[in-house]
Amino acid sequence: MSSSALRKTMIVLATIGLGVASYLTYIHYAGIVPLCGKGGGSCLKVQTSVYSKIVGIPVPVLGLIGYFLILVTLFVRQNDTVRLATLILAFSGFAFSAYLTYREVFTLKEICEWCVSSAIIMTILACLAVWRFLLGDPPPQPALAGEGNPGPEADGEPLTALPG
Amino acid sequence: MSSAEQPKSTRKERREEAREARKSIEAQESQRQARRRRMMQLGAAGLVAVIVIAVAFIVSGSTKKQEAPKPTSHKGTQAAKLVSSEVSGIPQSGVVLGNPKAPVTLQYFGDLECPICRDFTTGALPSVIANFVRQGKVKIEYHSMETATREPQVFREQQAAMLAAARQNLGWNYLELFYNEQGEEDTGYVTPAYLKGLAAQIPGLNLAKWEAERSDPKLVEKVEADETKSGEEGFTGTPSFVLAKTGGNTRKLTEFTTADLAEARALFEPAIEAALKS
Repeated sequence: MSSSALRKTMIVLATIGLGVASYLTYIHYAGIVPLCGKGGGSCLKVQTSVYSKIVGIPVPVLGLIGYFLILVTLFVRQNDTVRLATLILAFSGFAFSAYLTYREVFTLKEICEWCVSSAIIMTILACLAVWRFLLGDPPPQPALAGEGNPGPEADGEPLTALPG
Repeated sequence: MSSAEQPKSTRKERREEAREARKSIEAQESQRQARRRRMMQLGAAGLVAVIVIAVAFIVSGSTKKQEAPKPTSHKGTQAAKLVSSEVSGIPQSGVVLGNPKAPVTLQYFGDLECPICRDFTTGALPSVIANFVRQGKVKIEYHSMETATREPQVFREQQAAMLAAARQNLGWNYLELFYNEQGEEDTGYVTPAYLKGLAAQIPGLNLAKWEAERSDPKLVEKVEADETKSGEEGFTGTPSFVLAKTGGNTRKLTEFTTADLAEARALFEPAIEAALKS
């Protein structure tokens, strides 16, 4: 997969993750039962557990911020530093999701389907972020005679001028 | 072309070839260094992930521990007196408060750590007890339903502690004391010491017997059976209530979300009167 295709895939995934986090944030503040299997009971227990907040901040809000920041790094002009920022954010999100999943399964012994879906999205994002980061800058596009615009695979990267 | 011009081209071509070779080597070295740098940055990102997990565990593990007031403390003495005055003279049988032959049964589904249950129990329930339970018209049956406690093991232990007191027909003293001395939500205040502190405040409770019985697996089974019943009733929050003429058709009361005495009276008293007349 090219860097550009990876970036587009990550944008789609982060948008879906943002949707999930937005929904969970909404139900947290609205105080309503989440749409969930088993009549919402398991999701409710997880969403209202002692682990649903970190230093007083609801976990869905942290997820919202995380997905938003990942999207920002995917839309700005790309370079190694920006790709590194995407990677760190995705890794942090993956690590936090892993911790929350551990608490769900082994401490609360309940499964919240929304939380699991967010964890899966973040895991895939982390994998794609690593792949994209290791790919590095895409290869410079050969300049065509009479054309000055970069091709669709340029991924927003500036064309590397050939040394003269 | 004369033979004298040929060596110059050849030299130029050789210079070009040498330059291209040098650039190729430099490019390869540059790529190697970039790859090494990326691997180190990848390692650093992994380290950040590990730190995130460690911090999450540390932050979630730090909780305040709050002891129940000591029996001889002012707060403990006051709460125990209040509870005693509320329920003394009313028959208790297990988790049931009131005349066993009362014509109306009010089933109260609650979580001992639930702050709304606390508000109801300390604010509105006393009037129901005074006006109906003490008159022998209504009996209240307490059932466990986990909402606020959030840690299943803690929930089972605290509810079982109440059921152990109920075996000595002092369950309502225990649960009323718990609600009156409830700690701050999500602080992990319910510890074995806290539960024992509450038990020690109940006059007439055999503390050694309570301590021995509260780990009886049958009490945990009762807690789990209550949870199943709450699920069958379709309850999602506490406190929740079922009101019925004893042995008659049940009526679910709306989940109660206020301790306002007037609102409680407006909700419960007509419903109880209607059940009594039915």
